[in-house]
Amino acid sequence: MSSAVRIKAVYNHLDCLLTGIDRLKRAGFTGFDVQAPLPRHEIEEIMYEGRPSPVRWWTMTGAIVGMCAGFGITSLTHSAWPMINPGGKPTVALVPFAVIMFEATILVGSLATGLGMVVHCGLPAYFIDRSLQDPRMTDSSFGITFTRASAAQQEAIVELLSKTGAVEVTTGNDTFYEVPNA
Amino acid sequence: MANVEVIDPNDPGKPNRPATYGETNRDIIRVLLKPSVGYVLGVLLALTGMIIGGYCWYLQITWGMGVAGITHPTMWGVYIVTFVFWVGIGHAGTLISAILYLVRSRWRTGVYRASEAMTVFAVMTALLFPVLHLGRCWQAYWFFPYPNQRQLWLNFKSPLMWDVFAISTYFTVSVVFFYVGLVPDIAVFRDHSRGLVKKFYGVLAGGWRGTHRQWHHYMAAYGFFAAFAAPLVLSVHSVVSWDFAMAPTPGWHSTIFPPYFVAGAIFSGCAMVISLLMPMSYLFDWHKYVNTWHYENLAKMCLLTSGILTYAYGMEYFVAWYSQNPYEQSIFVWRATPSADYGWAFYLMVFCNCVAPLAWYSKKLRNNHVALFIVAAIINVGMWFERFNIIVSSLAHNFDPAAWWYYWPSNIEWGVLVGSTGWFFFWFLLFCKSFPAIAITEIKEMVEPPVKGSL
Repeated sequence: MSSAVRIKAVYNHLDCLLTGIDRLKRAGFTGFDVQAPLPRHEIEEIMYEGRPSPVRWWTMTGAIVGMCAGFGITSLTHSAWPMINPGGKPTVALVPFAVIMFEATILVGSLATGLGMVVHCGLPAYFIDRSLQDPRMTDSSFGITFTRASAAQQEAIVELLSKTGAVEVTTGNDTFYEVPNA
Repeated sequence: MANVEVIDPNDPGKPNRPATYGETNRDIIRVLLKPSVGYVLGVLLALTGMIIGGYCWYLQITWGMGVAGITHPTMWGVYIVTFVFWVGIGHAGTLISAILYLVRSRWRTGVYRASEAMTVFAVMTALLFPVLHLGRCWQAYWFFPYPNQRQLWLNFKSPLMWDVFAISTYFTVSVVFFYVGLVPDIAVFRDHSRGLVKKFYGVLAGGWRGTHRQWHHYMAAYGFFAAFAAPLVLSVHSVVSWDFAMAPTPGWHSTIFPPYFVAGAIFSGCAMVISLLMPMSYLFDWHKYVNTWHYENLAKMCLLTSGILTYAYGMEYFVAWYSQNPYEQSIFVWRATPSADYGWAFYLMVFCNCVAPLAWYSKKLRNNHVALFIVAAIINVGMWFERFNIIVSSLAHNFDPAAWWYYWPSNIEWGVLVGSTGWFFFWFLLFCKSFPAIAITEIKEMVEPPVKGSL
């Protein structure tokens, strides 16, 4: 069994990056990360091909749970102390409780969305592979990184990335980027 | 496959945009350099205000609520006026960041981060006031439902309870939305700093690396946050208005209050964004990112909402006349009587909110920074007096003439008002100096992407 190697390509141009991703996918390579300093829908389209993020299920579940919780806390607490009857309203009064239900829907829905985002983004991620910790990727460069590529495929991947306009293609420990004069 | 979408070249913001992604980083990260004298003076001024306010609160806790000017029948005075004022200020941030995001408005990009910060700090300031108003502030946890042996729960049919839930939800959602938006930009600060500062931003960035997976889920979540925050913006001040409108008090009991309050909140919030961002852009040299284009759009928002407010002021008088209710008519006639106790406050409100903004119908004045700043400051004063006019005059001139009373804030209340302003500006100044107050990532989206074009 061959060992895994790191491969990293740095791109200065978005169209070169997109071509690199496209050719990698056509050649059947998977398991790589694309890094960018900003969200570009071209990258999202080529990587996810229109598949939506599962965060939406967290949002919907959170919103429904929040609405039910809002109804639960208002109706159950008023039922526990039913003699408080301001303005002749029924014990379980839907109109005034709708305000609390609305707020709870928004609150729990938002918190669930945040949690879903954190889970699917893999955050917090303080101990990730060092090849992904490249400060150029939050500045002005784009990158394609294999953290565990098959050694047998190394040569083919490096050649493909180099031909698509990568300004730098490194392998192994050379993928660790140090800021000059830091 | 290598087609790259570029921005609209006719966009008026284009001439002021940075040329590259790297230029954006360098421009914004400059705030971490040594502070200017103006900035230090600003922080010291804010700290002085906080000390004054803190001392006044200490005196109130020591001597009791009697040192505040509120007394029967005017049991809501400066504290509630200022609470509503700061909640209103907090509206523009989420409006700009959420609603303008959903409608893909380009001019929001330069101003939305600072506006969001304004929202968070304004709501933090507003939250002080119910606690201050309690007197026994250590029992503030009674605001929230918690299990207890007496099985005694809150009255969820009360608009005051709706308000607790509305404001706390608004604060929580605003903070989450604000922080989520900040994460990729904090990662930029992390990657361009060293030592302890790098560690600090590293912890806050949570290991963000800008991978395709992270951007995919981040953008989906951001859209949902915006979709949640948009109705929240409209609901929060509606709920605040119900604190008044649900009471039978003359001058308060009106169905026009929710849209009237929401328009007022957006009006004051946009004016406050101009008041805050203009000195900041001079202080940190942000003119490339925040400029006349942004101020002009904010001024147009103010013009629209000023028109709605003017209509609401007029409609209150029409409804009072049309209702044939003598109590309702009495309070509105009394409010507008120049020689009455608060007649001056009414006319100050009308001048600041209805007359002064008319200057912005002139494009020349909308593009003049001095005129923009002065009118924005006048609007902020006017909006505080609007709440003073609504809250104080209605209570001081209630149903029973025998109970009519002249309320004037005590020095303690004025001190707390100064303190709240200092508290707000302290946090805002601290934020602008330590975090990306201009959204780096979204500015990059406005920059034409680097394209080789020969493949």
